Amino acid sequence: MFPDRHARSFLDAAVLSRLAAVPLFARMPMVGSVSGRHPSPYRGSSVEFAEYRKYVPGDDLRRLDWRAYGRSDRFYVKEFEADTNLRCCLVIDTSGSMNFGSTGITKIEYARRLGGALGYLALLQGDAIGISCVADGIARKIPPRRNPAHLTTVFDILEQAKPQNETQLAPVLHELAETIRQRALIIILSDLFVEPELLRGCFQHLRFRKHDVAAFHLLDPQELSFTFRRPMRFIDMEGGPAVFAEPNEIADRYHKVLEDYLAQIKQIMLESAMDYHRVTIDEDYEKVLMRFLVGRTRAKGGR
Amino acid sequence: MSFLAPMLLAGLPLVALPIIIHLINQRRFQTIRWGAMMFLLAANRLSRGYARLRQWLIMAFRMLAIAGLIFAIARPLASGWLGLSAGGRPDTTIVLLDRSPSMQQTGGSGGSTKLETGRQQLVQALKMLGSARWVLVDSTTNKAIEIESPDSLLNSPAGEPASSASDIPAMLQAAHDYIQANKSGRTEIWICSDLRENDWNGESGRWQTLRESFLEFPQGVRFHLLAYPQAALENVAIRVTDVRRQQTSDAAELFISLKLSRAPVLDSNSSNSKISVPVQFEIDGARSELTIEMDGAQFELKDHRIPLERSHERGWGRVSIPADANMADNEFCFVFDRPVPRVAIILADDPQAARPLELAAAISPDPSVHDSAEVISEEQLAAVEWEKLSLLLWQAPLPKGSSANLIQAFVERGGQAVFLPPAAPSEGEFFGVGWKAWVEEAEEIPVENWRGDQELLANTQSGAALPVGQLQIRRYAGLSGESFTPLASVRGGKPLLVRATTAHGGAYFLATTPAPGDSSLATSGVVLYVLVQRALAAGAAVLGNTRQLVAGAPPESDPATWQRVTGDERAISTEFPFHRGVYVSGERLLAVNRPAAEDQAQVLADHRLGELFRGLDFARVDDQAGSLSSLIQEVWRLFLAAMIVALIVEAGLCLPKLARTREATFKTEPVGFHAPGG
Repeated sequence: MFPDRHARSFLDAAVLSRLAAVPLFARMPMVGSVSGRHPSPYRGSSVEFAEYRKYVPGDDLRRLDWRAYGRSDRFYVKEFEADTNLRCCLVIDTSGSMNFGSTGITKIEYARRLGGALGYLALLQGDAIGISCVADGIARKIPPRRNPAHLTTVFDILEQAKPQNETQLAPVLHELAETIRQRALIIILSDLFVEPELLRGCFQHLRFRKHDVAAFHLLDPQELSFTFRRPMRFIDMEGGPAVFAEPNEIADRYHKVLEDYLAQIKQIMLESAMDYHRVTIDEDYEKVLMRFLVGRTRAKGGR
Repeated sequence: MSFLAPMLLAGLPLVALPIIIHLINQRRFQTIRWGAMMFLLAANRLSRGYARLRQWLIMAFRMLAIAGLIFAIARPLASGWLGLSAGGRPDTTIVLLDRSPSMQQTGGSGGSTKLETGRQQLVQALKMLGSARWVLVDSTTNKAIEIESPDSLLNSPAGEPASSASDIPAMLQAAHDYIQANKSGRTEIWICSDLRENDWNGESGRWQTLRESFLEFPQGVRFHLLAYPQAALENVAIRVTDVRRQQTSDAAELFISLKLSRAPVLDSNSSNSKISVPVQFEIDGARSELTIEMDGAQFELKDHRIPLERSHERGWGRVSIPADANMADNEFCFVFDRPVPRVAIILADDPQAARPLELAAAISPDPSVHDSAEVISEEQLAAVEWEKLSLLLWQAPLPKGSSANLIQAFVERGGQAVFLPPAAPSEGEFFGVGWKAWVEEAEEIPVENWRGDQELLANTQSGAALPVGQLQIRRYAGLSGESFTPLASVRGGKPLLVRATTAHGGAYFLATTPAPGDSSLATSGVVLYVLVQRALAAGAAVLGNTRQLVAGAPPESDPATWQRVTGDERAISTEFPFHRGVYVSGERLLAVNRPAAEDQAQVLADHRLGELFRGLDFARVDDQAGSLSSLIQEVWRLFLAAMIVALIVEAGLCLPKLARTREATFKTEPVGFHAPGG
């Protein structure tokens, strides 16, 4: 698992071993390169019977169902479902705002933990894992591969991810939707601090490309509660202008704006059939992941 | 708004405390690196209407609360006395109290008079304000008296009502003199008056001087006027205009003429314009009554006869009407006596002038009055019985030496003297007036102007003018000197009849003689007769043993020797000359009554009042007789209540909105667990 024995701060072996008990499923048929545990849109050689099909010349005679021929004097070919592995793409938001954390842990660190664990779990069940670090553009990107050495590279990228620059999630997601081959599992780890309307287009684009998209919406408790006693000068972590505000005065409006935003995001996620998880980063990431995995287990089954 | 502890108002800048705290708080800001800027910016963009308003309101109410507290401890006074005492306790407070009869008018519902209400209000207000020294100038003596405390206003005789008119300029002069003599510090002058025109003498030239002299005080003098200008609802004043005792062969009668004046005059069409006034006559204690139907502003009763005993030659009486809005003008005292023989002496160079004068002086208009006139020469002057003389007619060079002294003494005790020009006017002046050369006119000239309202040429009692205009003047002597009052003048304003300025008595200078070559005074003799008879009557009035006096006039004898026969019981002996009543002084019977001007209800107009105090620190408040509300009140409770209200409202505004269930909303929640494409 760790060929170089280099301990990663965002990985906890105990948590990983516990999580490994639950498989990571895709919600829709995936297209992988090898056989795996995920349904494929194609017919293949699994034990699961799919359908009979009329024999056409050129079909492998070994797949001809002789018993059916004996009964009906017609040639039928017996087809089975294909099982495949999946390509999991982690999309880590590395914009400046991800460096915020009021509870001792930053959002980027939280994203590292989630991403690391998911990458490990995927690879454990033979799926390919790739990663894209995005901010105002795609900072780093490696395509999904399924060899264990590749995981080290993923971990390295996670470790080196540095939150800077502003969030330009929408163009980046459009680009990823186009560049990632169809039918992949895309997991977005971001605070989604962009206009919800811009995201709607991205998600629909991803859906159109038949990707299974999951989003972890990372929010800091302080961003939600906005409890400050004194007047504050808010310096934009993404390089925008600083704002001076009297929290008592502005809190009401802040909460209103926040509520509107969250409601809108939720609506868009539902409309786009996203696997959406709002996460406050003071929560144990193991629980979050467990909920994620279990939820997917329930939702599994589509082909 | 004024304050009893104005020094505490220095704490008013503390009102800015919430703002300062707010600013300090803003300076104590913390800096934070913040990710969710999009919400902050959006919140900033949102309409801030109510939120911003709420912040301002909270701030305003906090400031209001502090202001309320400061105002409350500064002990505010609610009153109309704007700018009452911004500088705290004054050094000297001078009270000018108008005690004139008009101040005894009661309010609409009866009860207290203006004077009583004013005194009480003053005591209440002044006690609250405090002062190092208290001075009272009352309207009778016009002298400044130091009093111990404002309470003295209530129990001192100097605060009781009087019958004499007030002279506000003289009172102010007394106040001015007091300030000057005592070098008092910051002074407040409180005037309590009903603003009657006759008391204030708004036209008097003294105001200008007073204003200037008050402005000269460096310490600052502040004037407060407590005014009671309301007119009476229904008031009738009674006044005796004439009392005569006539004796016939078998009986004696008293003829009383009186005048009733009514204010305010109602419209003659209104139902209650007609009133009946029962007038009660009291002669030496015996009473009779007469009901008078009155319709209009004035009613005059001429020669109401009251029979007397033949032996009853001298006595006193009183007329009264029932109580109305003003009690002080419901009674009038009079005294009567057998008429005094009226003696005139004539000293004339020109017999042609002497004869008409002698005739005019010797013929009595009334059979009961005995007139006598005697022509004498200057040598006989020493032998004249001056004490029985009423009138001196002098057509000779102006007296000098001992004659002058005799005549001066005669005029001083109230005698009347009429001087006519001698044939050859010489140098020298008498009573400040001298003769100049005769002026011969080419033709006879008429008298152009004369005073018909008073003095010798006044109109008759029925209002008809004397035929002065028909007189023809052929020549007249010029007059030198300045201290005289012209009573009649010919063309070009040349004086024909003047009155010299004297303290008592009367000294007249007629610039022509009744001689046929000089004027038509003798031929059209009415004017000469009236002139001489009026002078005789005035001279005789001081001779009798009875005297009608106007309250407030300087007494001829020491009032301490007076004995009260009837009158105001509250009056102390030194103040008898100021109180209505009948008094005995030696052998004389004196009746003291209010001045005629007191019956005129004219009130000084507001703009005139403003002019009188122009440039001075002056505040006025109008009060009403019988008003129960105190002039000034401490109203700190109001401010304390305002402070509490402000605090409660502030607390209400500060209350956070209803507790939110945001925690539940923000819980981590997965959505979209459905298998798409399944």
